[in-house]
This record gives sequence, structure tokens and C-alpha cells, in this order.
Amino acid sequence: MSTTAEQVPSEVPAADRSALLAPAPVQSGLDRRTVLRGLGIAVVILIVGLFVPDVISDETNMGIATDGVVLGILALSIGFLAHRSGLISLGHTAFYGASAYGLAIATTQWDWSPMQAIVFAVLGGTVLGLVIGAFVVRTPGVSFLVLTLAIGQALHQLVVQDSVRGTTGAYDGLAVTWGADDKVAGLGQSEIGNAASFWPLAWVSLVVVLVILWLVGRSRFGRVLEAIRENEERARFSGFNTYVPRLIAFTLSSAIASLAGALFALKASFVSPDTLSFVTAGDSLIAAIVGGFATLVGPLVGGVLYIYAQSELSDSGNLQLFTGIALVVAVVFLRGGVVGFVTDTGRKVRARVATTRKGAGR
Amino acid sequence: MDLAQLLNGLAYGALLMILSSGLAMIYGLRGVMNFAHGSLYMLGAYLAYEVTQRTSFWAALIIAPMILAAVGAALELGVFRRLQDRSHIEVGLVMFGVALILERVIVLIWGDDTLPVKAPSALDGTANVFGTDYPAYRLLIIGVAIVMAVSLVLWLRRSRTGLHIRAASHDTETSLILGINVDRVSLVVVALGAALAGLAGVLAAPYFSVQPGMGQTILIMVLIVVVAGGVGSIGGAMVAALGLGLIQTAGNVWIPSVAVLVPYVVAIAVLLWRPSGLAGKRVA
Repeated sequence: MSTTAEQVPSEVPAADRSALLAPAPVQSGLDRRTVLRGLGIAVVILIVGLFVPDVISDETNMGIATDGVVLGILALSIGFLAHRSGLISLGHTAFYGASAYGLAIATTQWDWSPMQAIVFAVLGGTVLGLVIGAFVVRTPGVSFLVLTLAIGQALHQLVVQDSVRGTTGAYDGLAVTWGADDKVAGLGQSEIGNAASFWPLAWVSLVVVLVILWLVGRSRFGRVLEAIRENEERARFSGFNTYVPRLIAFTLSSAIASLAGALFALKASFVSPDTLSFVTAGDSLIAAIVGGFATLVGPLVGGVLYIYAQSELSDSGNLQLFTGIALVVAVVFLRGGVVGFVTDTGRKVRARVATTRKGAGR
Repeated sequence: MDLAQLLNGLAYGALLMILSSGLAMIYGLRGVMNFAHGSLYMLGAYLAYEVTQRTSFWAALIIAPMILAAVGAALELGVFRRLQDRSHIEVGLVMFGVALILERVIVLIWGDDTLPVKAPSALDGTANVFGTDYPAYRLLIIGVAIVMAVSLVLWLRRSRTGLHIRAASHDTETSLILGINVDRVSLVVVALGAALAGLAGVLAAPYFSVQPGMGQTILIMVLIVVVAGGVGSIGGAMVAALGLGLIQTAGNVWIPSVAVLVPYVVAIAVLLWRPSGLAGKRVA
């Protein structure tokens, strides 16, 4: 007689069985007080930031600030994906560029109002992200990087084809024009190119993105993402679905990249194949890394730094040289990028001050 | 597709093969995707221009790969060995930065213009291949690639160093325990990989134009080849390179309007079908 069958209860109650299969409970890093305090800080930052054009009266610097915020939003989307799920993408230009082209085509060729076009562009980029993400998020490590690169470059090649010149303008690009009466955030076509008047739109978008990224990073979902990043197999064995969270993260990231693309197209009133190029893909990733994507604002700082460097170095043509050096220095020496380095150093200095004070008191 | 077009595909595939076998070797041993491979190829082409100006193309074919081997050794000592405790993605990003720096330095030395490199006069004309006149120089590319591929595979399979390379690529830690000097093996592999990139650059110089964007364009293709062939697999990379060269040419002939998309579509399809590439984890 076999005894094993008798020792192990042959029928586990259904409720217990589902408890065995359910993932372990995960604490969210958000309680009501933290959320309220975070939102309060965000509102203050939002309001204070709106006065930036009054402080920076210089047109060139205002342009740098605005373009920096737009590139910063793109870098934030890449940094979020890299930090929370460990997926390094060289193909976020696909969503950035698709959204920019979507906006240009909707306004210029279909005569949509700019607001409709923005919604269309961001939604379009997000859906593209969902579809692409469904295929690529399973691919590990460097294959993910090359796969996203291939997808971005395929889109670039598609846009510059002569056969689609009527739609995308091929290498000439597309101008963004809309009706004389239509306005975006109170701005008509003629005012939107002005950095100071465009600023509120960029700033509000940025703060909204930062709040979303902060909430997601601290939520239960963010914790699950990190568990998957650290060890996908173990997370799966612990009962978590490891595919859907990564797909959601990828889609959210592509939505933010699409927002950056739409803002870029509005501000520049022009879209060129450069938005989809390998250089844009590489530089936005470098901005995220140099700024430090392990911190919330790191990629934003990287984006602003990049635009500043671009305005300083574009005459000499040495921008590429310095982005290369910045990337090497950031990865080798400043682990955690510029922002990570600054906060680390600040912490060390404070610790040293505290110990010397203690020593003096003795 | 006629014979000349087939040979064009082979010549392009041959260049990709020389480049990707070096990249795959480095990846196999150090686990790092060498994003500077395109700029090493570019440096090879510019050196070919310089040496051809001073002496002859045949000298360039020897000298440029030797200089590139020294550059590779410097990269091994300065980057790969120093950062071997870091994550592979981080080291890959450092190499991406090195590529940006190297490409700009090359432009600062040789300028922005497209530079001409003449094929050696002995190979200026055409040769008769089964009744088709075909530029003799492109046959040289195919020939060099075949010699390189055969000798590389034989070397990896027959020699002691080759054995060590295969062992270290398969399992670095166990190889260390068994007394293989992985640092020395890595020095050989990275120097050889860089030399092969330089060789491809020299061979490409008279075929394509020597210009600042050449490194980036080919890097994307080579990355696709190596990943589709099976990361770290030299044999897989060689097969994928020839395949991509032929597919690209077939695309040019049959569907010219979207031919440039063909390699990307094929690569995406391969990677979605087999995420670890065609060859999986075999080294050579």
C-alpha cells in the first residue's frame, strides 16, 4: 500500500490552492500622506516654474530651457524604462518620431485642429508602443537593444522612401501648419515658436510626467517591476506575471516619448527624418544616462545639459566628441550620472560635517 | 537576379562577415557588445586612404589591420579589462562613447569630405566569371573573406589558443579554474577582432566611399547580423552576414521601392522567432 497518497491530503480546498498560487503580497511605498505631500510639492513646483520666462528674459536661454524640457521628457521616458525594468532602448525615436509625424500629418494634410492632432499623435505613438512592446519586451538584454534599434531604423527608412514623399516629405520633412483661428493653450501658429510663450505647455507636461513617474515608481506596480528586473525567473516562480507589467511599463514609456514628440513638432512647427535617426536615439539615451536615470529628475537634467552643449558646440562641430566623453565619464566615474553624483557627494559632505562637529564637541 | 547581382550580394555579405566575426568573438569572450566596431572599421578605411596615398593599396591591406590590432589591444587594456567587474551593458555604453569620440577624432584629422581610394591597378578591370564580366576588385573582397573565414574557423578548432578561446567563451570562470589565462586570451581576441574590423575597412574603401557616416551605417547592419546569428556565435554570424548580404541584394532587384527595409524586417522576424539568434549558444 502506498502511504504517500494518505500523508498528503489528496484534496486541498480550492481557496487554499489559489492562495498557494497567488503572488506574495507586495507593499506599496505610497500611503495617503506621502501622496498628498508629493502632490503638494508638485503643485508648488508647477506654479513656481510658470514664472521662469520672467526670470530668464534672454531669448536664447529661454529657447535652451524649452528645448531642454522637451528632450528631457524623451530622456525621462527612456530612463524610466531602463531604471524600472532594466530594458535599455535605442528605439524610442520610433514613438517620438511617429508622434511628431502624426501631428504634422494630421494638422497639415487632414486639417485637424492642433488639439485633436496632439491627442491623435500621442494616442498613435502609445498604440504603436503597445503593439511593438507586445513583441519585444520578452527579448533579453542586448538583443532588446538591437531589436529596438532595428525597429526605429526601419521606421526611419520607411519615412524617407520616395514612394511616401506625398505624405512624409521624405528627406525634406514636413511643415506643421494649422488654421488661423485654432489655438493650443491660447497660442496661435505664429506665437508657438516663441520659447517664452511655449514654456507653460512644456512645463505643465513635464510636471505631469514627473508626477506620474513618481507615483508609478513608488506604487506596488513599480515594486513588482523592480522584482522582475532583478530576477525575472524568481519573480515568475513567486507567482507574478512577468510579461504584463513589462508591457505596461514599455507602453507608458512610449506614451511619454510620444508626448515629447508632439511637443517637439508643435514647438519647431517642422518635422524632419532626424526625429527618427540613430543619432537622436543615441543622444536621448546618452542624456538619460549622463543625467542619471536612477533618480527622478536625472534624465531631465541630462536633456537640458545636452541642449545647452548643443547650443555652445554646434559651431565647432565637436558636439559628438563631447557627448562621447560625457557618456564615458558618466558611466565609468559618476555612477548614477550627474544627479546621482551630486546627491551622493552632498550626502558624504553632510556626513563628514556631522562627524567633525561631533569630534569638536568632545 | 543575374550572376553579377548575386556576386554583389556576396561581396557585401563578405564585408559584413569579416566585421561580424570579430564582433561576435569579442562578445563571446567579454560578453560586451562592441559598439565601437563601426568606428574601428571607419578608422581602417581612413588608414587605407592614408597608406595608399603614400605607398600602395597592398601595403594598406597589411599595415591598417596591424595598427587596428594595436588599437584593439589598447581598448582591451584600457576598457574591457579595467571594467570587467561592471555590467556588460555598462561596458557596451562606454564603447558607444568611445565610438563617438573616435569618429569625431577621425573627422578632425582627415576632414568632412568623401575621400577616394583607388583599387590597385592590377584589379582595375573586370574579370570573366562564367561568362559574365564582373569588377575584379569585388572578387578580391569575396576571396579575402573566404580565406579569412576558413582560417579563422580552422584556428579556433585546431589550435591551442583556439581551444582556449572556445572554452573561455563557453564558461569564463571554469576556464580560469582550469588554468586558462583569460586575460591573455581576451587580449588576443579583442586585438584580432579590431584587426578584422580594420581589414574590412580597407577592403571597403575602394568599393564604398570613405566618408564620416560610414561607421554608423555599417554598425547597425553588423549589430543586426550578430544578434540574428546568435550572440557570441562566430559561425552563426558568418552565415547571417552572407544571408543578409544576399537578401539585401535580392530585395534591391525584386522590390527596389522598399529594399532598404528588408534587412530590418528580416532581423526583426528572426529575433521574434528565435530570441537567442539562429545559432543559439554555439561558439564556432
